[in-house]
Amino acid sequence: MPELYLALLDRILTPVLLLLAVIFLLAGHNAPGGGFIAGLVVASAFLMQILARGDAFVRRLIGPYLQPLMGAGLLIAAASSLAGIGRYGQFFEGVWWQLQLGGRAWEFGSPALFDIGVFLVVSTFVTSYLLELSRPAKEGGRK
Amino acid sequence: MLTPFLLLLLLSGPALWLLRPHRWGHAGWLAALSPALVTGWLLTQLGAVGNGQVLTEQRVWSDAFGLALDLRLDGLGLFFGLIVAGIGTAIAVYAGYYFEKNSRLGYFYALLFTFMTSMLGLVWADNLLALFVFWEGTSITSYLLISFKLTDKNALEGARRAFVVTGMGALAMLGGFVLLGQMAGTYSISGLLALPAATLTQHALFTPMLVLVLLGAFTKSAQFPFHFWLPGAMAAPTPASAYLHSATMVKAGVYLLARLHPAFAESPLWFWALFVVGGLTMLVGAVIALRHYDLKAILAYATVSQLGVLVMLLAFNTKVAVTAAVVGILAHALYKGPLFMVAGIVDHATGTRDIRKLAGLARSLPLVGAAAILAGVSMAGIIPTFGFVAKELLLENFFALIEAGQSQLGWIGLVAVVLTGALFVAYSLILLWEAFLRRSSPLKQATVHHAPSTLFVLPVLALTIVGALIPFFFSAIEGALFGSAGSAILGATLEPHLALWHGWTPIFLTSLLAIALGALVFTQREGIRKLFAKAPEFKGQTVFDSAVDALYGVARWSTRTVQGSSFPTQISIPLLAAAGFAAFALRHNFIADLRVDWSAVPTFYEVVLPLLAVVAALAIARAQSRLSAIISLGLVGSVVMLIYVFFSAPDLALTQFLVEVLTLVLLVFVFYRIPNHAYPKPPKHRSLKYLLISLVVGAWGFSMALLAAGEPLAQSISEYFSLNATAAHGGNIVNVILVDFRGFDTLGEISVMVVAALGGYALLRASRLRPVKPDKKYKEPPHA
Repeated sequence: MPELYLALLDRILTPVLLLLAVIFLLAGHNAPGGGFIAGLVVASAFLMQILARGDAFVRRLIGPYLQPLMGAGLLIAAASSLAGIGRYGQFFEGVWWQLQLGGRAWEFGSPALFDIGVFLVVSTFVTSYLLELSRPAKEGGRK
Repeated sequence: MLTPFLLLLLLSGPALWLLRPHRWGHAGWLAALSPALVTGWLLTQLGAVGNGQVLTEQRVWSDAFGLALDLRLDGLGLFFGLIVAGIGTAIAVYAGYYFEKNSRLGYFYALLFTFMTSMLGLVWADNLLALFVFWEGTSITSYLLISFKLTDKNALEGARRAFVVTGMGALAMLGGFVLLGQMAGTYSISGLLALPAATLTQHALFTPMLVLVLLGAFTKSAQFPFHFWLPGAMAAPTPASAYLHSATMVKAGVYLLARLHPAFAESPLWFWALFVVGGLTMLVGAVIALRHYDLKAILAYATVSQLGVLVMLLAFNTKVAVTAAVVGILAHALYKGPLFMVAGIVDHATGTRDIRKLAGLARSLPLVGAAAILAGVSMAGIIPTFGFVAKELLLENFFALIEAGQSQLGWIGLVAVVLTGALFVAYSLILLWEAFLRRSSPLKQATVHHAPSTLFVLPVLALTIVGALIPFFFSAIEGALFGSAGSAILGATLEPHLALWHGWTPIFLTSLLAIALGALVFTQREGIRKLFAKAPEFKGQTVFDSAVDALYGVARWSTRTVQGSSFPTQISIPLLAAAGFAAFALRHNFIADLRVDWSAVPTFYEVVLPLLAVVAALAIARAQSRLSAIISLGLVGSVVMLIYVFFSAPDLALTQFLVEVLTLVLLVFVFYRIPNHAYPKPPKHRSLKYLLISLVVGAWGFSMALLAAGEPLAQSISEYFSLNATAAHGGNIVNVILVDFRGFDTLGEISVMVVAALGGYALLRASRLRPVKPDKKYKEPPHA
């Protein structure tokens, strides 16, 4: 039975952590943050959930998506490196697009895409280890 | 047109796999389409290429490194291409029936066509490195085909042996190719063949280069003393044995020798190496074949012997020798391939390949018997078959040698060839008589319980009939097929004149002598087999196995020493090595290089934080339980994080903090499962040892930091980064470095992470799947 105070804390902290991760991911290119840190923050949000609600709950929630997302992250990161070839004929050259929206210019570039790939790999990597190691040691296994 | 054909073959394998060919009855015919197409196209080129034209093709891959796929179709490439694609067509049909409803037929086709692509690429490549890549392609597909039956231990060991032997040879050959490329100044095969022969043969590196290249060719073509892998490879499904291990792949070595023949044939080393090794292989293979009772084993050793003949012929730089080699290659492919296929059908129909259990198959399987007799007579070299012509040419070579004045060499060769020829006759007769013609077998006779369909036998019959007809159409094809291939080997125009009947020449009489001797051996076969069974056999396999075992021994020993011990030892080795190397490099002027600004006054936190870290570290060492140890460890990490904060590196601080928290929890998860009594205090002397190691490593880290702070050794790159970060659309330099400047590094790192995740997943799963004896002392965690 998960601890009560953890469950309470989880209600508040998990959304905050996830929001923080999004901010880190999007702002990371100009302010502290980035895909790596955002990935770790998301992993700690899941850690919170594992501690508060038990690993079985979290596994039901995200277990099947971890490995596909990890693969997708690697694929996105690798694919973003090809954008430079398309535009400049240079492998890994950053390509940036601008969008005028709401009176200001929004920038999005292939390095940002790459960062999203890094984010996916890091978050799923750490979470999958957390889930595997927090699995209760029964099921006839190692005790 | 060459690259599209390679692509077609490469893709048709996986395409067939997806079509699940075992579900339909006659998938073999569909599979045969693409090789048949290639064969047909090659036949249309016979006119042009046979007349000396050469097709070349270049696909540039990387301009910067000068890498391109150069393909070249000349007479020799066409000749080998026809064998590969033509026999491949028959094998594709045959395999469809051989595997019947076996669900792994699709996988077999995927391997078969990958092999076919590699083999065609090998004989068409005009670049040494490309040739090497295709060469390895054939080795890998051969490995997978031999180990096709994954439950068969013999198959797995045979596959490993074949792969290691040919793989080591190929590595030696790669070394030889690099030397050759340096010597010639080009990796292009046609380029180096165009050089005057003396540039290479007079070069100082010629001998080591030639030895390395020959190692590759000899291992691939199963030459003595590397011949043992080929009989071991017979664990492969029979279509693969018939195709790879008799008709095509084992001839790759012969092909390489033929290809390089014009450049090297004048060197005496070339002559003696090929003559001696080829000759020995020829005799050893022929003799060992008589010891065996398994159809495929007999045929395998006969193949070894025939490969020896071909290598020995390529030692000579004469027209007759080259003609004999070319004719021998095709004749062998056209009788040995079908014989293997016959062995497969017999196995399929009766369930055994042991000739002691077989008899009278010519009556119960008349079509198979007809094919076997046609091919067997050719193997024996009895007039009027293709094999007969090949043997006549072989004998003619040595007669010519005697006439040319080299009588000693000629007589030795002649005697060896006659002996080998007699043994060929003997086991052709044994094979035909015992399996197909006699009425009863000495051991319990196997019956035909599963008669093959006519369509199954059709590809075998087709190949044997082509082989049987060729001698009657010599005048039509000798120039285009044999002449153009031979010219490429000789480096000069070759216009062979082949005929079945030359009159009552000494050569023909010698040929008759060999047949008579063979018949004699056949009648005395029981006694001779017993004699051979007693004689010691050269066991290359035993030598190889003990060498591999010794290698494993070394690996196990080093693993035990370096990694087998406890975690503290494992981690001290690299740390002490790093400290040792640093101390060695800095042994002279460590003090001189040290520049410390003693006047700086440390701030409050610069004093407090390190002190905190020291106290925490001491607490780790003195901790009584795992939990307190890792909490103290976390404290050290937090101090490091705080230092990052004070030196305004928010990204690092953030990362450090998160990693610290996550590892702490992970460690708790892990330690949760290990009972606490498994945390013993190390004995006193070991504590002292660890203390000493820690001090050394600490001193190393400290002095490194001191040195780095005192003197920036090289110009810092950080200025470049901060200047260019805005150009890269980023304000956070750390992130810009990670995702832009050093993006490729990061990509590598996250790839490693994915691999580590999969590995860790598998490990954690495996430990859970294995039932472990429950430990009474350990209580379930309360949350579980």
